[in-house]
Amino acid sequence: MTLLSQYKEQYINQSIQFVVIDLDGKVLESDQTFITLKQDGFIYDVHPFFISYSSILDSTEDSMTYNCVHLGEGDMELITDIRFIKKENHLLLVIYDLTEHYVSYQRIAQARNESIINSELVVLKNIELEERERFKNAFIQNFSHELRNPLTSIISITNLLEKTNLDNAQHQMVDFLKESNTNLRLLLDDILSISMIASGRLQLRNKVFNLLKLLELIAFTYTSKTKGTSISFLMDHDQKIPEFIEGDRLRLFQVLTNLLDNAIKFTEKGTIALKVILNQKRANKVSLRFEVNDTGIGIPSEKINTVFESFTQLEEEGKKGGAGLGLSIVKGLVELMGSEIKAESKSGKGSSFYFDVTLTYAMNLASKPIENTKNKTVDISKLKGDRKYKVLLVEDDERTQMVLFKTLMDTNLFFIDLVNDGAMVFETVINNNYDIILMDVDLPNVSGDQITKLIREFPFKNIKNIPIIGVTANVFEDNVDNYLKLGMNAVVPKPFDFNELLKAIVKLLK
Amino acid sequence: MQKSKKIVILGHFGVGKTSLIQRFVKDSFSDKYKVTIGVHITKKIVEVNENDSISLIIWDLEGTDEVQMIRQAYLLGTHGVVFVFDVSRPSTFQNLNSDLKIVAEKTPDTPLIIVGNKIDLVIQDELQSLLKDNNIEANYLTSAKTGDAVNEMFTHLATLLNDLT
Repeated sequence: MTLLSQYKEQYINQSIQFVVIDLDGKVLESDQTFITLKQDGFIYDVHPFFISYSSILDSTEDSMTYNCVHLGEGDMELITDIRFIKKENHLLLVIYDLTEHYVSYQRIAQARNESIINSELVVLKNIELEERERFKNAFIQNFSHELRNPLTSIISITNLLEKTNLDNAQHQMVDFLKESNTNLRLLLDDILSISMIASGRLQLRNKVFNLLKLLELIAFTYTSKTKGTSISFLMDHDQKIPEFIEGDRLRLFQVLTNLLDNAIKFTEKGTIALKVILNQKRANKVSLRFEVNDTGIGIPSEKINTVFESFTQLEEEGKKGGAGLGLSIVKGLVELMGSEIKAESKSGKGSSFYFDVTLTYAMNLASKPIENTKNKTVDISKLKGDRKYKVLLVEDDERTQMVLFKTLMDTNLFFIDLVNDGAMVFETVINNNYDIILMDVDLPNVSGDQITKLIREFPFKNIKNIPIIGVTANVFEDNVDNYLKLGMNAVVPKPFDFNELLKAIVKLLK
Repeated sequence: MQKSKKIVILGHFGVGKTSLIQRFVKDSFSDKYKVTIGVHITKKIVEVNENDSISLIIWDLEGTDEVQMIRQAYLLGTHGVVFVFDVSRPSTFQNLNSDLKIVAEKTPDTPLIIVGNKIDLVIQDELQSLLKDNNIEANYLTSAKTGDAVNEMFTHLATLLNDLT
């Protein structure tokens, strides 16, 4: 025998077995290469696979191959390809031992299937998490919305109560009440902000504003806040920062005041400082760094990333009040501005929070007049003509009715009619000549925005053109835009500021 | 020779075909997933009534993404088909009805049982709406892990096949 045929025998013959069976499945001959078969035994007694022989006899095919058939018992692997070939009065079986090949194939299939299943599970998990997150945010939004109505009443009634004859002790109690109201309102606004940021409903409203004035306002506020405490407030800004920039003034203010309030909360004594640094100016873009530093208790390095999560406060130093939302609002707003809030801190030494933001600035705006500051007393002298104005108040909540009624009456400028059902509004409007309508949105039967739409479609000018002010707690941006689109002239949010409402009325009646 | 019937277990990979057989034949279960390649064949004698039994030859086929890819040789001489999907993984039942159509073409005139497995992983109420939303009519809802409905399913099929002869 040549060397080559010796090798061939050694390698090929070792892995192929030939078996001849008769038409009843009885073993006639076998070379016993790897399966030992008893002569005259039935092949299907060796392994249930071999019962297939009868199917092949029944079929029209002359031969049939089965790939990747496991014939091993227990831990012994034997994976084969098996070919049945029909001969006259018997069947030839050729069994190929391909265990090694199939075992490696199995490993590949295992890795592939596992990774597909795992990625499917990750996707499913994410869908579930998003669903929960959506539910949570919707819940928070609805809930804080529901709280606005009673809070409006509490705030307004407190203001009315303050104007009644009170002794000193009662005055003091009203002051506490007012402070608590303010805190509650701020907290509610925070919760609403965070859920709006999380659900992507909050959008920045970029407009040109005076940055230096904003910083002045902040400096004034925090100098007053820290007066008489062991903390001093420092403000430092680059002289070259532009006066007018385009951005969301309200949100920038919210970010900076949240950071400063946070600094005050965790600083016993020392300084808190706001720094505005000019990184660079190019064309009409300016990059600014806003930085708030304190000499407070600091944050341990392992906790530095968790301070931006909602409803977290570092436990070790004792609770400082608040829901722990301030910094997560900062994080969300700064991200909306296309930046990232960063924190550096040394435990016991103090913390530093900063972010870099690129804004557009306009060079030729230096002489632009400064915007009106809010909360000025409204000039009602323009309205004091020889007659009183007729106001229709559409409102179903009794306490809001009472508050609006009383505060409007106090100005001595208005006659007021009241309707508390959406379906009644039309009839009342047709039969009276109103100068203005104050409209709640959530009304029984027909909603305020729909009534507005109907009034605007009315054929008579004197009715069609009556100014309408929406007074509502549905103050999401898209809602407000929608109300204005449907024909409201202005929208005043609940809990309302009476001056703001009066300002809107004056503006529309002039 | 004992009266024998060949059944094949089909379905996407990872739905628990091997585990169902393991539960039925050995009354055991393993959480560890081992991919089946090719085919494993096991035999179990099933009592179909008081004095009658048949030998069930169970072909545990490699799971596929596409039913069309099943090797025709494996289906030769099949008496019954069990099609398994995983109630916790939508990809295994999203195209169930078209999958079943292909199976019916490949194994004409053969009884087919539809099984939703891994019910221990989902909430009962959600399961019902899931089936309804996807327009699925499963004959059995099983858990190889807890053993729920596994014996019933195989015994039912064995009885059905016995009655057909």
